[in-house]
Amino acid sequence: MSDVTATNQRAKRKAAGPYGKVGKALNELDDRLGVAKGGRTFMDKIFPDHWSFMLGEIALYSFLILLITGVFLTFYFIPSSAIVTYHGSYLPLDGQQVTQAFSSTVNISFAVRGGLLMRQMHHWACDIFVGALVVHMARVFFTGAFRKPRELNWTIGVTLLTLAIVNGFLGYSLPDDLVSGTGIRIAYSILLSIPFVGTYLAFFIFGGNFPGASTIPRFYILHCLIVPLIIIGLVGAHLFLLVRQKHTQFPGEGRTEKNVVGSPMFPVFMAKTTGFLFIVAGFTALLSAFAQINPIWQFGPYDASRISYAVQPDWYMGFLDGALRIWPSWSFHSFGHTIPFEVLVPALILPGIIFGLAYAWPMLERIYTKDNEIHHLLDRPSQRPKRTAVGVAALAFVTMLFIASSTDVIANFFHISLNSVLWAMRILTILVPLIAYPIAYKICKEMQGVHGAGKRKTHNIVSRTAEGEYLATPTPAYRDDLGHDLEATPVPTYIEVEPDEPDEGGVRIVDR
Amino acid sequence: MKLTSPLVRRAALWSVAGFFVLAPGAIFVGAAHGANYNPTETSRRNSGTPNSSIVVKNKAGTVIEYGNKYITYTAPPAKLDNLGEALYMENCASCHGNQADGVPANGTTGAYPDLVGLGPATIDFWVDSGRMPATDPRAIEAPRRLPRLTPNQALAIAAWVNSLAPSLPLIPSPNLANANVSDGAALFALNCASCHTIEGDGDALASSTFSPSLRHIPAFQVVEAIRTGPANMPRFTGNLSDQQVDDVTQYVTTEIEHPNNPGGFGLGGLGPVAEGFVGLLLGVGVLVLVCYWIGERQ
Repeated sequence: MSDVTATNQRAKRKAAGPYGKVGKALNELDDRLGVAKGGRTFMDKIFPDHWSFMLGEIALYSFLILLITGVFLTFYFIPSSAIVTYHGSYLPLDGQQVTQAFSSTVNISFAVRGGLLMRQMHHWACDIFVGALVVHMARVFFTGAFRKPRELNWTIGVTLLTLAIVNGFLGYSLPDDLVSGTGIRIAYSILLSIPFVGTYLAFFIFGGNFPGASTIPRFYILHCLIVPLIIIGLVGAHLFLLVRQKHTQFPGEGRTEKNVVGSPMFPVFMAKTTGFLFIVAGFTALLSAFAQINPIWQFGPYDASRISYAVQPDWYMGFLDGALRIWPSWSFHSFGHTIPFEVLVPALILPGIIFGLAYAWPMLERIYTKDNEIHHLLDRPSQRPKRTAVGVAALAFVTMLFIASSTDVIANFFHISLNSVLWAMRILTILVPLIAYPIAYKICKEMQGVHGAGKRKTHNIVSRTAEGEYLATPTPAYRDDLGHDLEATPVPTYIEVEPDEPDEGGVRIVDR
Repeated sequence: MKLTSPLVRRAALWSVAGFFVLAPGAIFVGAAHGANYNPTETSRRNSGTPNSSIVVKNKAGTVIEYGNKYITYTAPPAKLDNLGEALYMENCASCHGNQADGVPANGTTGAYPDLVGLGPATIDFWVDSGRMPATDPRAIEAPRRLPRLTPNQALAIAAWVNSLAPSLPLIPSPNLANANVSDGAALFALNCASCHTIEGDGDALASSTFSPSLRHIPAFQVVEAIRTGPANMPRFTGNLSDQQVDDVTQYVTTEIEHPNNPGGFGLGGLGPVAEGFVGLLLGVGVLVLVCYWIGERQ
């Protein structure tokens, strides 16, 4: 039986020619489009094997989920502020006058098959998307991957984070429910707080006063078309630069500034990353199936006369909300003008400084260290204690602002005075970064002296002898961490048949 | 002018000194202004309700029942007066005084208010929701807890205090069959959500005061709270009709209590705070672990 199968397979392979069926099809494609050269370069792109290099992919794949679920939602969402009477399956809203935007979002949740799952997936994917961006950005920062020649890609990345936050806010506002309407109201007031031009700017962006009929349609086109297009373009540029400049790598045996050591795009990395895509998608779907997010039907429609206590924005806007909450109410009234510093400073100047510093960091570090060399080898965070400490302090500052956005929840949960929590957050927001800096600095300095710190650990095999004694035998270190002599794989100048025996572990080395 | 010139230095010193002289003065003036404010002096007494189609009086001419098809308000039965007096002396008199006329709250944060003329609904609400007798009479807030006294005992105390000076509002009993839950939802968003939150979970307000959760509250207590305005809560009398109060009560006791709430675990009704934590710790956290798992495979 097996003999027959083997013969059949051999016959099939022979009929398919020397390149197999797929190879034949690809050859046909190459004859017409000349894809072989570019394709070969792409497939031979080397990805260094380190888990932290895949963090950005969480963001990439959750963005993909956002696009797919977002397209689904556009089929049913009506971006209109026209007033309709809601008649649907959610009884407490039955007969209420609501906007079409709100009514259609409730209908997506209750009447459209799979609509609520899609809505929740879209929202959870957004929370994960921005979170993954931050984690990816932290990896790039702490390992010094932003240094020359990659400053431009860092700038693109910070822009992507900004746009993601902006688009998240726009999307959060679209259902026109009570909570998000309050958010738009705050955004409108923040625009108004800009001296001299604030009123004009707010009217320009909102198409008149708030609440008004043009807000939802404008936010819709921004959220679904303009900002995503810019994001897609920038993601493309981000990835193009990644391929063009080749990947950074951690220092190790055989790794120099002149080479890249790792697995090729095809087949090793392709398998990993495709698997990762499915895991991200599956996990987001699971989360959305089991954890509720933004139940707008409970909030009811937005109305300027209504307000709910205890509302917060989505987490990525939390630091702004926190800054607004803890900033003292200082304002300037004179000459017939009011300059509300209590809104202007925390909501515009402070984020301006935070993102400005993020943009300027590669330049600032270059000026400070006078290091103008090209770097492809990464730093371990402990090797650059000052940079790491600055990063930790900045994260601590933003985290404290983020926590400050839930002062009321903290006060209610621990049953303490809201005023005490507010004052505690004011003090902690200044104090915690100042404490975090020296601690992070000291830890880095200490780690520099620890033998084997930063090397990946391998497991021990614990065995029991006949006498009952337990022995822990260490397993060999990772191949990369051992002193293998690696030779560069020559980049083929022509398409060749793959050798029969597979690469050992798929690790290759190519000249940059 | 240089920053170190004597004139600049002197001006700076004077301004600092001026601050230290004026700031305590400002605080003193503010405190004196605050001390004049007495919340019990506002017109809390004899707050009736509008649009009553039924009014029943007893032989002495006192109103013992009023209302309409949405809510009827009934006086506590006079036969409970003696029981009420005994219970009052046992549980309430130590703070509110033997004549229920209150004790001036000198040197304490809480006031022991005059109860006469507040109406039976007020007394009944505080006792029946377990807030009174208070756990800590000096605390700013008397939180809701398991009631010390039975509903009948609460009613008896209300009867005795009412017998001192008959007053309104009486004990309400809403007829939820005539209520419209959709109107209730809209009225709730308009009047209640600004403190109790739109999901009715309650939250911390300024200066150690809290708006309580609205879950597990009997319907008549919801009406009592709306009509009498306990603690920090405003009293809704003329601006909400009995029909509207009935609608809100229906919304609170059905939709807040058992929300039609698909979409998975509600994450404690904490909104974006809980969502953010789940999204970051569970969402991003798990995916980073997966990242480690995949990324470190050779």
